[in-house]
Amino acid sequence: MVTNVETRLLGRNVSFSVSEPWLAYWLVIMRFAVGWWMLHAGLDKFLAWPFDAGWFVGGAAAGTSLAPLVTLFSEGAGLAFVNVMVPLGQTLIGLGLVLGALTRLAAFFGAMLMAFFYFINGETGGWAHGVVTGELLGLLIFAMIATLGAGRVLGIDAVLARMDLFDEHPKLRWLIG
Amino acid sequence: MNEFTAADRVAAYVGGGLVLLGVFGIGLLEIIAGSPHPVTGEGQIVHEALIPLDIRSYIIILGLLVWTGYAVYKVVATTPATERAGRV
Repeated sequence: MVTNVETRLLGRNVSFSVSEPWLAYWLVIMRFAVGWWMLHAGLDKFLAWPFDAGWFVGGAAAGTSLAPLVTLFSEGAGLAFVNVMVPLGQTLIGLGLVLGALTRLAAFFGAMLMAFFYFINGETGGWAHGVVTGELLGLLIFAMIATLGAGRVLGIDAVLARMDLFDEHPKLRWLIG
Repeated sequence: MNEFTAADRVAAYVGGGLVLLGVFGIGLLEIIAGSPHPVTGEGQIVHEALIPLDIRSYIIILGLLVWTGYAVYKVVATTPATERAGRV
């Protein structure tokens, strides 16, 4: 089963063939890989509770490009919020991707989280291993999943997509894969 | 044939262009015109950057913000009418 893609990119006609089963296969492999990455990171923090992100949002982030935003959360209620939201967010993003549930929403927040990790870890380390890091690749995979939507491949979004709620509210359809 | 809309083009070309400029374009410039890039025993690259690293970060951040704006636009601009017409 091969689909022929015909479109235009940068003003030029583009035509190529894609194997449908391999496309579905790679979408779900990517989803599981980055999903487990996040789920593991989130569960680890819950299992070793309490989690304190102070060293990151208050220490490491200071002096980086994202400092004006991130250091707002470096103490008090902001830090308490981050201490819960990082592990909870990672767990939910991971679950969303592994289960294929609200896949686009999960991938969007995965990309957002990766952007914080990418710039803060990269800049504090002086980009010593170059600017293409695991976090940038993670960010791009999340963006790819959010763009293509992969939740309907062996995922719960296939069930959600048939619900009346998503028929009646087309905006919500952007949250699922 | 399914083609990009105007909003798709902005996200794809402006957003993607800025990300690729920051990651790839400036990287290539550093290799061609920058100072030598000795690699330490721990695999770390030590060199003076031709383009300040914070400028490089801001270029990539700007590209990511264009992509984010596009994602939000896709959700907000979708209505039953636009969806029927396939305009978003």
